[in-house]
This record gives sequence, C-alpha cells and structure tokens, in this order.
Amino acid sequence: MFCDEALDAVEAIASNDLAPDGRVAAHLSTCPNCAAALVSARALEQMLQRRPAPSAPSQFTSRTLARVRRARWRNDQFLDVGFNLAIGAVVLAVLVGIWVVVDRSGVTTVSNQAVDFLGSRVIAFARRVAPSLPLYLGATGVLASVLGIWWWAERDARL
Amino acid sequence: MDHGNESDLVERCRLGDEDAFQELVDRYKDLVFALIARTVPDRSRAEDIAQDVFLRIHRGLPYFRGEARLSTWIYRIVANVCLQDQTRGRPSVSLDDDRHADLAPSGSDRQFGDLELRDRLEKAVARLPANYRLLIAAHYLKGVNYEDLADALQLPLGTVKTQLYRAKQQLRRLLETELK
Repeated sequence: MFCDEALDAVEAIASNDLAPDGRVAAHLSTCPNCAAALVSARALEQMLQRRPAPSAPSQFTSRTLARVRRARWRNDQFLDVGFNLAIGAVVLAVLVGIWVVVDRSGVTTVSNQAVDFLGSRVIAFARRVAPSLPLYLGATGVLASVLGIWWWAERDARL
Repeated sequence: MDHGNESDLVERCRLGDEDAFQELVDRYKDLVFALIARTVPDRSRAEDIAQDVFLRIHRGLPYFRGEARLSTWIYRIVANVCLQDQTRGRPSVSLDDDRHADLAPSGSDRQFGDLELRDRLEKAVARLPANYRLLIAAHYLKGVNYEDLADALQLPLGTVKTQLYRAKQQLRRLLETELK
C-alpha cells in the first residue's frame, strides 16, 4: 500500500467514520509519516470538537426584530408609493380618455353654441348632447371605481 | 423541537404574529450566530449577517412549505448568506494575524490549555475556502450531523463527507506547514 492511499483515509479514521482495515492498519504501523499524520488528524479532530460555539449577543433578538420591522416598513412604503403612482397614472389615463371622448363627440363646440344661444336653444342643445351622455356616465363610473379602490386600499393599509 | 410545535410556530409567524417570530429568533439565534461567527471572524460583521439571515427567514416564511425541517431550511439560508458574503471579497488571513482576538475562549475551553494553538486553528480555518469553512463550522456544532448538512447544502451525503475530509486534510496541512 502507498502512503497516498493511507493518507486519504486518515481523516475518516480520525473521526471514527472508518475503521482501519488490515492493509491500512499494517501500513500505519510501519510508516512513521502516515502514523504521525493520523496522530495529527486525531489531535485536530479533538480541537475541532472542543472549539467553542460563540453565543449570540444579549441584545441580538431585539436588534433583529427592530431590523425586521424597519425592513417591513420600508417595503410597505415602497408598495404604497408604487400603488399611489399606479393609481395616479390610471386617473390621468381616465381623464385623458374623457377629454378625448368629449373632444371627438363635439361637445366643446356644442357647449360654446349653447352659451351663445342660451334660452331658446337649451332644448336643442340637450338633444345634441344626449347621445354622448352614456359615455360620460361610463367614464365617471370608471373614475369613481378607481377612487373607491384607492380609498379601500388606503383604509386596509392603515388597519 | 418536535414537528408539531415547529409547524405551529411557522404558521403563527406566517399569520404575522410578532411574538411567534421572536420565539423563532430566540430558538435559533445561538445556532445561527455560532455558525456564522465560525466562518466570519469579525464579530460585528457576524451579527450583521446573522440578522440578514433572520430577515430572509421572515421574508421566506410565507413560501416555506414544510417539506424540509425548519432547522434544515435555516441552515440552507445560513449557507447561502455566508457563501454570498464570501464572494464579495475576503482579505487573506495570515496565521500571525491578530484580528481574531475577539473570538475569546470560554472558561471551559481554557481547561484544555494551549490557547495559542487554538488561536492558530481559528486563523487556519479562516484561510480555508468558504465552503470548507462552512462545513467545518456546521459539522462541529452540536446537533448538526452529516444528514442535516447534506439536506441543507442539497448535496449527496457522500459528497458532504468527502468535502469535510478534504477540508480537515487542508486544515491539518495548513497547521503543520505554517506552524513549522
């Protein structure tokens, strides 16, 4: 048997994971270098087993919990800002949508005419505007829903 | 800690019970800190990393499915955090370096004498590759056996044993050559 083979088994023997078989035992009894390696490995094994395990500092739990709370607060803030930005973007999109709908349906022009021809033209104005009313009501409903969700989310976050 | 208590504690933590999380920290802080302090020589840095581990545990608990034991899952997080910390760069440590002086020996350890040799051991351990250091640190902590290590590191049992033997072989050679 060569020293390399015996030396490969030294750590396993020192930690009692391996019982030296006949060949290894014979080699260890005749080779001073390998025998010294086994002695050294056993000494190291004992030192590692006696190595002290450092305890956590006394304030560790409270400091850790404070850090967890801070991280959670930061995370909540981040989500809150992100949510508010998203809601703002949706509200803006709804407002732009309403403006486009109003502009394309010619309500602005109609409104100007209505101001000019108040009185006798009110009924005619109402007739012209009436077809666009469902669109206005729909847009208002979307806006109200968005604001409602916003309010609900803010209330939930405060609880 | 039996499995029933463990799953109950995890469930309470998941529901946002801060007392339950405090209980979890109290139960595992010494194990986590000892593991990290054995791989990271600087005690304040070790505390910082240990807090990182519990932060990750807090974030990860909603996704913990209970397939592994809680302790195994925690070891895995410790291993990941330690190995990530090592990849950020670690100064090489000489066996004559005094930076490990803050790892003060306990009273019982003094009975075994030869503090200088133990100091050398700490410095030699600090010079091992990160994965070897973690294996040595974990294996010689009470209650962490080969099977737990294999589960935590997601390695076959044979690989864990082989790596551990290689780590100890390297450590022995470091001590033998550098002490001469």
